[in-house]
Amino acid sequence: MTDIAVAEPLVPVPVGPVPDDPAPVRRPGLLHALVHGRGLVGLVLVGAVVLLGVLGPLLAPYGPTEQVAGANLLGPGPGHWLGTDELNRDIWSRTLYGIRADLVVVFAAVPVGAVLGVLLGLVTSWWSVTDVIAQRAFDLLLAFPALILGILLTAFLGPGLLTVGVVIVALEIPVFGRLVRTAVRTVREMPFVEASQVVGAGPAWVLRKHVLPNSLEPLTVQLAVSMSVAVFVEGAMSFLGLGVRPPHPSLGSLIKDGVRLLHDAPTFAVGPLTVVVALVLGLLLISQSLSEARRA
Amino acid sequence: MLDLHSTEAVLEIEHLAISFSQPRPAVEDVSVTLHRGEILALVGESGSGKSMTARAVLGLLPPGAKATGSIRYDDEEILGLPEAELNRIRGRRIAMVFQEPQTALNPVRTIGWQLREALRAHGTPSRKAATERAIELLRAVEIPEPERRLAAYPHQLSGGQKQRVVLALALANEPEVLLADEPTTALDVTVQAEILRLLDRIRERTGTAIVLITHNMGVVAEIADRVVVLQAGNVVEEGETRALFADPGEPYTQTLLASVLRLPELDEPVVEARRAQAASQLDHRSVPAVEFRGVHVRYGSSRRGRAFPAIADVSLAVAPGEVVGLVGESGSGKTTLGRLAAGLVPLADGQVLLRGEDVLAAPRSERRHLRRGLAFVHQDPEASLDPRYAVGASIREPLDIHRVGTPAERDARVAELLEAVQLPASYADRRPRELSGGQRQRIALARALALEPALLVADEPTSALDVSVQARVLELFRELQERMGFACLFISHDLAVVHQVADRVAVLRAGQLVEVGPVGSVFSRPAADYPRRLLDAVPVPDPARRGRRVKELAS
Amino acid sequence: MTRYLFSRLGSALLVTVLASIGIFALIRLVPGDPVSVLAGPDATPASRAAIRAELGLDRPFWSQYVHWLGDLVRLDLGPSYKLGGDVGSLIADGALNTVVLTLFALVLASAGAVAASTAAVVGDKRWLDSLLSALNTAAVAVPTFATALVLVLVFAVRFPVLPAGGTPPGGFLAHPDIAFQYLLLPGLALALPAWAALTRFLTEALHTELRQPYVTTARALGIPRRRIVLTQALRNALPSSITVLGIQFGTLLGGAILVEAVFAWPGLGRLVEQGISSRDYPVVQVLLLLSVVVFVLTQLATDVIHAWLDPRVRLDSRVKGASR
Repeated sequence: MTDIAVAEPLVPVPVGPVPDDPAPVRRPGLLHALVHGRGLVGLVLVGAVVLLGVLGPLLAPYGPTEQVAGANLLGPGPGHWLGTDELNRDIWSRTLYGIRADLVVVFAAVPVGAVLGVLLGLVTSWWSVTDVIAQRAFDLLLAFPALILGILLTAFLGPGLLTVGVVIVALEIPVFGRLVRTAVRTVREMPFVEASQVVGAGPAWVLRKHVLPNSLEPLTVQLAVSMSVAVFVEGAMSFLGLGVRPPHPSLGSLIKDGVRLLHDAPTFAVGPLTVVVALVLGLLLISQSLSEARRA
Repeated sequence: MLDLHSTEAVLEIEHLAISFSQPRPAVEDVSVTLHRGEILALVGESGSGKSMTARAVLGLLPPGAKATGSIRYDDEEILGLPEAELNRIRGRRIAMVFQEPQTALNPVRTIGWQLREALRAHGTPSRKAATERAIELLRAVEIPEPERRLAAYPHQLSGGQKQRVVLALALANEPEVLLADEPTTALDVTVQAEILRLLDRIRERTGTAIVLITHNMGVVAEIADRVVVLQAGNVVEEGETRALFADPGEPYTQTLLASVLRLPELDEPVVEARRAQAASQLDHRSVPAVEFRGVHVRYGSSRRGRAFPAIADVSLAVAPGEVVGLVGESGSGKTTLGRLAAGLVPLADGQVLLRGEDVLAAPRSERRHLRRGLAFVHQDPEASLDPRYAVGASIREPLDIHRVGTPAERDARVAELLEAVQLPASYADRRPRELSGGQRQRIALARALALEPALLVADEPTSALDVSVQARVLELFRELQERMGFACLFISHDLAVVHQVADRVAVLRAGQLVEVGPVGSVFSRPAADYPRRLLDAVPVPDPARRGRRVKELAS
Repeated sequence: MTRYLFSRLGSALLVTVLASIGIFALIRLVPGDPVSVLAGPDATPASRAAIRAELGLDRPFWSQYVHWLGDLVRLDLGPSYKLGGDVGSLIADGALNTVVLTLFALVLASAGAVAASTAAVVGDKRWLDSLLSALNTAAVAVPTFATALVLVLVFAVRFPVLPAGGTPPGGFLAHPDIAFQYLLLPGLALALPAWAALTRFLTEALHTELRQPYVTTARALGIPRRRIVLTQALRNALPSSITVLGIQFGTLLGGAILVEAVFAWPGLGRLVEQGISSRDYPVVQVLLLLSVVVFVLTQLATDVIHAWLDPRVRLDSRVKGASR
């Protein structure tokens, strides 16, 4: 080192090793939260439902719309685990195929909405003009309770699984757009962002290198929450007859049929309802464990 | 010396140990005795356990902490008392004042309500009696118009007034012991001086014994009767203030006292630092690294006519290779001026020239190039590095932004920079959270220097650090500055720090430039009145000078 | 504060007007022609044109919009195309039922949430926390229509102690005790998810408040924890809880559609459903606009209450910049 000329008064500086050196402590990541405690339970629940759905065609003894001669409104039994409906169809098989409809909604529509919302939020929130416009638009979209939006869009597109998907995408865009906006607003004020802006980093650099990586965790938590909401929306829309068109099954439409036949086949709704609760509960537990891990 | 205290012990802490689930205990073995009517300073750097010791007295340790040993108040054991018993002692026998007056008061309740609530906790019967007592208390802590202040909310008071209210709350039930945890750290020096004098007067008037927890040796020298020095949860040394400062026995105390930066005496002959003398020979005719020409900055929306000036008509130039210190109290605009140079706040009027070129008038591509010659070091070591990246990546970022050299060359440069800030090259792989505050500021410095800037804006780079760490970082800063020859705007509220590193100093007050000049002359013979008052208020780390200063302040 | 109020009012009005234009345009884009619905399959072109003119559908878009807006302002909503009767009275009848139901659920949810979260925080007992957390997760994980069904099955079918659906025969005021019986099940089903969300939020907020330095100050003064929670922490957590309550109100309105379907509750939710399926423009338009107005008003109200509860906003006429 060069000779040090310090301004007076001369201060004796203690020499020694690099000062106060804390041992590297790594915080357990989000992944850790997923394979322990609550997160693990959630993962198992969701995993089980996904497995049932994916393997549905192999596990199902009958086709989803196959009518079994002589099996009218049977209760649960060895031939038909969950019984049959008024059109002689095997409820267990229909439930397995119904899961597939919900999986499409949960694992396709929600991510699509999330990605669109994130991109929209990232791009618009940097400049104040676009930010105001986008936020007003998001406000307007959020102004409609989910179901009203669903009903409105069904009026255009007609009932069907695609409509449910579109409704969920439309619901999630403002949710993720707002979340990202909050992240942008917080992160861009951070000293480390200012430090890179001072040396010449542009918006694209800051958004890509700092904002997005730092908002991934809250986005992951929201993704799990939104997926559970999507199960609800599918259920509610099918319950109101706005979802998948008969004779095709979905969890929501099966529950609806179960309600209709409540007095003739009281156990009808139990199967699909259990699956819905397992799926939602699993996703909720995952989101809870993730957000707890984030805060720790 | 005032000799109010008897030798009767009022609070005795013996072999106190506090541990969390972490391996190292927060407090290992602390024994302290407090006598009636004395002011005892508990001194130490962060992690010394001084705050934990005080909190343990009132049973206010964070959840999960376990305290063993003995704490006796008036010969009664109070460590480990159940909550209900403790509530009879808290506020009534032993009260506590905290560091941050901004958050120590409930924001949605009036001052009067909070005072009444404190009185009610110890049985002041009627609302009327409580209100009268509240007024009395506000008067005792020297708040003007106490009747009117009762209806005020905390946000309507200044920082100093809030700390006075916190004091009034603590004094509400006439405690015999007052634990003051860094009560002036968050305040400006002039306000700090007022609060310290108030504490001294309260002790004189009421005979309350005060435990003053602080890291500031100047504050200790100013009012403490006795000092207990803590390090890593142990008592290192203990003694009467004057004796301890004159002749510290333990090496740690010696280091601690030696790390304290001192200002020259006012009105002494001007001694310009060797550096500053060299600086005066700097070629001031060459193009300045940065020049402000009549700049104005406004906050708030000017469209609605509600803008108020943060900077008003400031002109200042920093020559290449020169370090200019910006000093002033909170609200003076020193940070804003630094951020303006860095292009982080919009300019309302005037010109900012970087190496002679108007940044805002320059075309976009040119602006990017001008920016390359700039760097910024932020105050907060916690937030100045992106937690998601290894620090090597953070240091590399400016090189990546400007695509300097090949990736391999960039990595080599990172190693070079780490060496320059005296950290091992292996630290490049660490995350910010794995580094100490001082180390993080070194990394921030390395990143700032990556592109060899012509101008570095350093916003209170050492104010969050302990004195000994601060001394080392400042030394490193000076050395790098001499080696690399960058110009620097060094912003600090700490006059001693600026005295240490700067060639020239600019004093700001309420957005205006009050005085500019070489460090030696401004600090010894300030021309304007305001710098003189500022310098006067700085607590001097020398108890021998206390008597003289008291006289000065009284006159 | 006044300035703040006016600026909020302005933006609320803007959102409403934009939404009304959007809704009016959207409804016209919906496939399916009300004229053919009304006229039936065998209508002649002449009779179709007559119906079209009578409904004002032959005029240009903006003229129709302005006309509609004028009618709205005069509260003259015209006849329904399909459901029969006057749109105004259809909506007024439905609105009363829905408002009573949602307000009842809102009161249940918020009172329950305040009670549960303060009990958990004041008590500071591990078992209580776990119990509430489990209840909470369950309440969120079971869909509203499922809760509604279970309630009907248990309390109306298995043990017939409460009515399975419908509104009280004599109105809500004639026999409050009977009205209460009719309200209880749908109200509970509707309130449960909102209760869960509010409790979770409020508990979290109270815990956050208890970590604030002002609480340490109060504890150091010897004020008991219970009193700190009730007089200080709760008061500080209130403004943000009001915002969450506002959001939950919107969710309740959505949930009301499902609950009304299960309990055969003749409210606005049923009306929306019927209106859409029978392509009854006037009804749907007004209902959609109504939902936007309710949302905007809720937002406005929560913002204003929020500001009023926070003296830093209430007493500060000047907007403070980032003063450094």
